Amino acid sequence: MIFQWFDERLELKKFKDKFLTKAFPTHPSFLFGEIALFSFITLVVTGIFLGLFYEPSIREVSLFGAMVPAAYASAVRIDLLPLGMVIRRIHHWSAMIMIAAILTHLARIYFTSAYRKPREVNWLIGLVLLAMTMGAAFTGYLLPYSQFSVTATSIAYYISKSVPWVGGWISRLLFAGEFPADGTVPRFFFLHVMVIPAVLVAMIGLHLLILVKQKHTEPAANKKRKGAWDGRRLVGIPVWPEQSLISLSLCFFLLFVVVLMATYIPLNPIETYGPPSPGTSVMRPDWYFLPIYGFLKLVPGDLSFTIAGAKITPETIGGVLFPGLLGLILAAIPFLDRVSEPQNYIENPLHRPLMTSLGIGGGMFLCMTTLAGYIDVLHIAPASMAIYTFFVTMAVWVISYLLLRLYSREGKKGNHVKT
Amino acid sequence: MVDASSAYPDQEEKVKITRRRFTLGVLLAAGAGALGSLLSLVKVLAPEMKGGGYVATVGPGDQLVYAQGSRQGSHLRASEFQVGDAVLAYPQGKTGNQANIVQLIRLKETEFRPPIRQELTDQGFVAYSAVCTHLGCIVSWVKSPQDPAPSYTECFCHNSLFDPARGAKVIGGPAPIPLAQIGVKVSKDGILVFTSGFSGPIGPQV
Repeated sequence: MIFQWFDERLELKKFKDKFLTKAFPTHPSFLFGEIALFSFITLVVTGIFLGLFYEPSIREVSLFGAMVPAAYASAVRIDLLPLGMVIRRIHHWSAMIMIAAILTHLARIYFTSAYRKPREVNWLIGLVLLAMTMGAAFTGYLLPYSQFSVTATSIAYYISKSVPWVGGWISRLLFAGEFPADGTVPRFFFLHVMVIPAVLVAMIGLHLLILVKQKHTEPAANKKRKGAWDGRRLVGIPVWPEQSLISLSLCFFLLFVVVLMATYIPLNPIETYGPPSPGTSVMRPDWYFLPIYGFLKLVPGDLSFTIAGAKITPETIGGVLFPGLLGLILAAIPFLDRVSEPQNYIENPLHRPLMTSLGIGGGMFLCMTTLAGYIDVLHIAPASMAIYTFFVTMAVWVISYLLLRLYSREGKKGNHVKT
Repeated sequence: MVDASSAYPDQEEKVKITRRRFTLGVLLAAGAGALGSLLSLVKVLAPEMKGGGYVATVGPGDQLVYAQGSRQGSHLRASEFQVGDAVLAYPQGKTGNQANIVQLIRLKETEFRPPIRQELTDQGFVAYSAVCTHLGCIVSWVKSPQDPAPSYTECFCHNSLFDPARGAKVIGGPAPIPLAQIGVKVSKDGILVFTSGFSGPIGPQV
């Protein structure tokens, strides 16, 4: 009845035929993007709850008799609400899960060569989504205005200031003056709750629209089954109802896991960190910033020079050039590994020794720079750690390349015999 | 016009292109104007703070007070310090400016080595800017548990190491330059006072 009423006006049947019959691959590795999407929804919902109580200001207010910034006081008061701390932790855990899911999704796309023509545009949009998500996480760090928040943001302020040529302007633009300026918290709050989520929503929409238009990549095995399913190219299950049920179950399961984690695993204990105070204790950023954090530790202090009027300092190298280069390499991948014809079938990563071993080596490099974030507890000198990082990365790359070469040759021989 | 263009097909072609080009030109000009007008926002969005950044206001005669802890704000007395002790301090009345924060350390005078400036020390008391020259975290004093092993100043953010006995020279990590020294002495009534400003640049060198 109701469906009919709407259908007569909105032509829902047409919509259903056009979009809800899109075939969805059944392999579970295709679900990482969905995990990121559901985490984002969780973040929006819990974010609305937090936003209703949060005060984006650093004016001094009284909290249990002590004068603290209003932002910090409001964050502590959120923790004191019934379930308030759980909601704040769900928010934080979801951010971590979202970034983890995006990175895993990215790795899946990379290793199965799904970034190649015609999907370069969606690869780039995906990178923008990753960058925006990290930006959202970073602006979120500052908001509780604890000692941890201020230290982390202060470090980022000086990193942005160390950008060659335009650092002074960029840092004042992002931080609304020289950190800690009165305008920093309101600006970060607005970026965190409005600007970045708006960009994310738009980009997610575009990402999915392009996905629907271009369809998923499919396993090479489907080549043989071409035309076997309803005359369509893609072999899979339709979005409605099969995939929707899987997605909904995944969504609920994710919610279950994240609530469980938020309930039992403490995270960002702002009461322990306390309000901003002099003195900086050992602080590590969340795991996804650890490679940059670790790399900053490896750059020797005397490595500064001026080139074409640009002052390059250890801060510039570790905080600007290193992440910038990582981003550039990721963005360049579909344009370096080119194919002339559109590719709709994924390749077995084991049959792409060079790209797969580069991916493994790159992953190892990020692991090693993450480890470099712990040289103070491991008692390793920065110079030694830099050497280990280089050699372990190279070794893992070369060895995995040789093994894959060997494997794919064997595999080809095997195939040859069969056909 | 119509007649002329039909008589000269070449010109007709030209007229069409000119009209299209004109429209395109207007669009581009209007677009550039619209975007250009936004440039005026650039300065507004990135405000300069008057006297912002790391400009220390500490000077000779300022008295040292505790920067944190239960005794925050009270005077530092020489009698409260053993050799090997260190503390974070501010000049009294200028605690709002983070650029003023210093680390005061008491060492053995015999341990002082160049490039420390001995004339800025008194009875083994030596003070340096506590703002790390790498990315602006506040440095900490790592007191060695066994005596012969040297103690040192460390920034816990990215593990820059400084040797206070040698003018806070960088002995490890990513900090580009030493912490700036500042003169201190013990006054007649036993409290610590500054005798100079910072001897070099302070804070991150970006």
